[in-house]
Amino acid sequence: MVNFDELRAQIAQEFKEVETLDVLNELRIQYLGKKGKIADLMKQMKDVAKEEKREFGQAVNQLKAETSALLEEKKKELEAKALEEKLASETIDLTLPGRKPSHGNLNPLHLIEQELEDLFIGLGYQVIEGDEVVDDLYCFERANIPKDHPARDMQDSLYLDPAHLLRTHTTAIQMKVLEEQAPNPIKVVCPGKVYRRDDDDATHSHQFMQMEGLVIGPHVPLSDLKGTLEFFARKMFGQEREIRFRPSFFPFTEPSVEVDVSCHMCGGKGCSTCKGTGWIEILGAGEVNPKVLEMAGYDPNKVNGFAFGIGIERVAMLKYGIDDIRHFYTNDKRFNETFDRMD
Amino acid sequence: MKISKKWLERYMDLGQRSMDEIATTVTNAGFEVEDIVPLSQGTNLVIGEVLTCKDHPDSDHLHITTVNTGDQVRPIVCGAPNVAAGQKVIVALPGAKLPGGEIKSGKIRGEVSDGMICSLAELGVDKHTLSEAQLSGIEVLDQDAPVGHTDPLGYLGYDDTVLDIGLTPNRADCQAAWNMASETAAILNIPCQLPEVAGAADIASDVPTQLKIVSETEKCPHFYGKVVNSVTIKPSPKWMQELLRASGMNSINNVVDISNIVMLETGQPMHFYDKNALPHQEITVKDNLDTDYTTLDGETYHLQSGDVVITSNGQPIGIGGVMGGNDSKVEDNTQGIIIECASFDHVSIRNTARRLNLNTESSIRYQKGIEPLAAKKAIDRAVDLLIQYADAKDFEQTVEFGCDHYEEKTITCTVEQINHRLGTDFAKEEIVDVFARLNLEPTVEGTTITVKVPSTRLDLEGMADLSEEVIRMIGYDRLPSTLPVMEMTEGKLNPQQRQRRFIQTFLCENGLQDAITYTLVSSTKKENAIFSTGDALELPTPLSEERRYLRTSILPSLLESAAYNHSRGNKGVNMFEISELTSTQGVIEHLAIVLTGAMNETRWLKTSTPADFYTLKGLVETILERSGISENRLFFKPNQKDTTHFHPGRSAEVYIGKDLIGLMGEIHPLYANEVGLKHAVMAELDLDQILETKKSKIRFTPVSKYPAVYRDLAFVVEKDLPASKIVEVIKRSGKLGKESIVKNVDVFDVYQGEHVGEHEKSIALTMTFQSDVQTLDDKTITTIFNSIIDAIVNQCKATLRSA
Repeated sequence: MVNFDELRAQIAQEFKEVETLDVLNELRIQYLGKKGKIADLMKQMKDVAKEEKREFGQAVNQLKAETSALLEEKKKELEAKALEEKLASETIDLTLPGRKPSHGNLNPLHLIEQELEDLFIGLGYQVIEGDEVVDDLYCFERANIPKDHPARDMQDSLYLDPAHLLRTHTTAIQMKVLEEQAPNPIKVVCPGKVYRRDDDDATHSHQFMQMEGLVIGPHVPLSDLKGTLEFFARKMFGQEREIRFRPSFFPFTEPSVEVDVSCHMCGGKGCSTCKGTGWIEILGAGEVNPKVLEMAGYDPNKVNGFAFGIGIERVAMLKYGIDDIRHFYTNDKRFNETFDRMD
Repeated sequence: MKISKKWLERYMDLGQRSMDEIATTVTNAGFEVEDIVPLSQGTNLVIGEVLTCKDHPDSDHLHITTVNTGDQVRPIVCGAPNVAAGQKVIVALPGAKLPGGEIKSGKIRGEVSDGMICSLAELGVDKHTLSEAQLSGIEVLDQDAPVGHTDPLGYLGYDDTVLDIGLTPNRADCQAAWNMASETAAILNIPCQLPEVAGAADIASDVPTQLKIVSETEKCPHFYGKVVNSVTIKPSPKWMQELLRASGMNSINNVVDISNIVMLETGQPMHFYDKNALPHQEITVKDNLDTDYTTLDGETYHLQSGDVVITSNGQPIGIGGVMGGNDSKVEDNTQGIIIECASFDHVSIRNTARRLNLNTESSIRYQKGIEPLAAKKAIDRAVDLLIQYADAKDFEQTVEFGCDHYEEKTITCTVEQINHRLGTDFAKEEIVDVFARLNLEPTVEGTTITVKVPSTRLDLEGMADLSEEVIRMIGYDRLPSTLPVMEMTEGKLNPQQRQRRFIQTFLCENGLQDAITYTLVSSTKKENAIFSTGDALELPTPLSEERRYLRTSILPSLLESAAYNHSRGNKGVNMFEISELTSTQGVIEHLAIVLTGAMNETRWLKTSTPADFYTLKGLVETILERSGISENRLFFKPNQKDTTHFHPGRSAEVYIGKDLIGLMGEIHPLYANEVGLKHAVMAELDLDQILETKKSKIRFTPVSKYPAVYRDLAFVVEKDLPASKIVEVIKRSGKLGKESIVKNVDVFDVYQGEHVGEHEKSIALTMTFQSDVQTLDDKTITTIFNSIIDAIVNQCKATLRSA
């Protein structure tokens, strides 16, 4: 007589001890195969007494079902284990370098230029460029700097011939814009390269970049310049910045001001960047001189407006703490790469 | 300009204001104080008398002295060679703070020293104003100097502080101390009393004179001359010496000092000649001499036509407005003088001073501009001082050539105009007060204000100038902060600017550095222009030969930057530059690219993108395609334009349609060597054409519902056959009815080597077949596929390798 309990226990024990899928498969064949032990039991049915057949059959089927369940369960367990082992064996060294795509970045001057452009575009300005070789007329005469005016001593220019020169300031673009737009309102920034007769050293460059701003309308007073530049200073150097105006002189503006920004390095307490004053001189600006408006074709009694000129190098040097203006033009990769991330 | 505290105090009561305070206030009103310089420094000083002096036993130069400092007698060790018993000296007592540090009592080589006997240099006096003797030893005071006096610097007149003020070009009037003083008083809002000298030169108006003055040039339109037959040369008064010293000038004698002090006071340079040196009593101003001339500094200069020259009897006696001559200068034995006080054209003076590199106190003033009435003030003041301090007598009447061309002007404005321009809300009274302080003598009618423009303020031309006076005097801290309120404007970049930014961003994100190189280049770089925009413009007077020409091509400069990086061991040097180029033919913007090092490199995985022709081509194609110029408008043809700078077999002319837009390819090895690079691929492209060429609009075409079928082909063809030829043939033959069903042709292998003939190559391609209107069955595809093979075999002299 078959002792089912003993057999069940034996099967359970054997399945429990299985550690590989191969052995499990052998067990499956041994018990559940066509010639396996459970099939053998089925064959013994014929020898079982008639009244016990039903009970025997049920017991065999139950054993078969239980064994199948055991098999499935074990199979899952072993498969999971095998996968786990496979994955474990596939472990990589996370510390090796990744495949970084190469990237470059903008020259910091272009970075600042674009930042400024975007800042003023946000205020409704358009961006206007102009030619680098300009007529003396637009560079000086129209800017109220007539020949032999003492202001000409402030900038020494690179002339191609008596009437043409490499522009000494982006004001030259401004004068052209004024002429083209008169008598309509204007709201523009004009970025560009400018040139002076300077020997290159840590603080001078014969070529550098400026951005001129110009707003003309029926009533654009000096206080609007202050508000605009306050916005600029806070965007460029931080929300806590204050600005201050100091009287100055430019032939094309009246009143003219030098604009200081409270030092972004020390917050105004005084440090080496601001030479202990708490303030940094950042740009020149003013209310457009009525003579300039008149020469361009405006009626200075009907419109007014302001202009400002930002030195891109100066902003970049202050913002990033750059000590030598020549860095911008050497294109040393080690320098340029400093500016390769969001700021 | 320099003005000292004592100088200001001659005209006004500064009260308790410190110099720092004054400097800040004056700066905020438009006169930037660049430096505050004390004439001397030192605390805890006293006048002492040296009682005894003997040599220090342990030193070859030190002396042991005893000094009476009033309260006690102190032992002091002193190293000065000139120290001696009986001298009155300046003693720094222990605890004194001097520019060099603090004085402590102690022992020097074993001898007690309870203080220091000082030289003026040790007390911070500008060395340039000291004599050799003063520089090499202690300062010896007059015998009557009071021992125990605790302000020796004040006793000597060194207790002054100088403001160094940077004047803006419109305020050259403040070169004159009188004008600066009255401006300062206006800013501080205190009364100011200047010396009253008007009319002083009218003395002896009835005494006839032999002096003849004439100007033969319009560069000297106005000129005063006056003969003073008797003067006494002696030292000038202490106050004058002190003021000169505070202005950085040395005292010579009373007469010379007067000419200098008058120039400092009024801004008007003047010259005193020894009357005996000008026996002809005649002065003529000329500008047509060509001669060598020795000035009173002993230097000889070459004068040429155009220079303003003062002559007498045809001989030069001075360079007009620059410097006088040696022969006629006032000396100790001078008995009488001739005063010259003239106006000169500032441009002419500037040109002469620049050419001769001779910037004098006089020439600087003329260049910056002198107010029209200064000459009159100066001659009045000179006569006034000569009488007071040089016993001047026996004057002759003043002679005048020309006139001052001055007309009094007024300006009218309204309170509303001023506030409208500034964005302020100042009251009429405040505005009128500013004008009154500035001596503009305002008169008011309703809200209309009329001011008189003084001769010193010719910078005031209209309402705008007055608005500046108002805001700078009231203070910029009262300017509100507002934003423009005007018609809505659209802030934006124009399409070209947007596209340029896209290209910058694209190239940066693909591994290239954005570079900026100089516009001005050497002749070598000019000659090496690649895809030049035209004939280079030349500067007639360049900064240097390195910066003579305006470049017509970016690459030579960009290659130099690449070489610079290589020479410093930088890896992966790949860069681009966008720049405007100006030539005789106009302005064109270019984009230049230089690749010299592998990109996207991960060394341990041995993967990278090489810096070769195809990487560059891919970048160029992508820029153009993503700018909206479709692939079928782009052509890369063998480079026949420039094989000096490019490898002749590995470079291309780039076309959009029929328009040549640039050159690209591998650098020629000889040129690479010339610029200091081992290898590079480079492109110079006309960005204007790229930006301005017509772009296709983005339009959605429905994605085909029918499946795509892929087939590969490989052919052996002649080595020189361009792959594009096969692609063309495939596209042309791959038609089903009218529909082109070859959607894509992709070259996936090119082989040359032992398995094909010496002059052959194998090309393998994948074709994508897809119809928009039907499912392509196997039979249809095979038919078309076979016709493609036939076409290639026939038209490209190809042999089918596998299909």
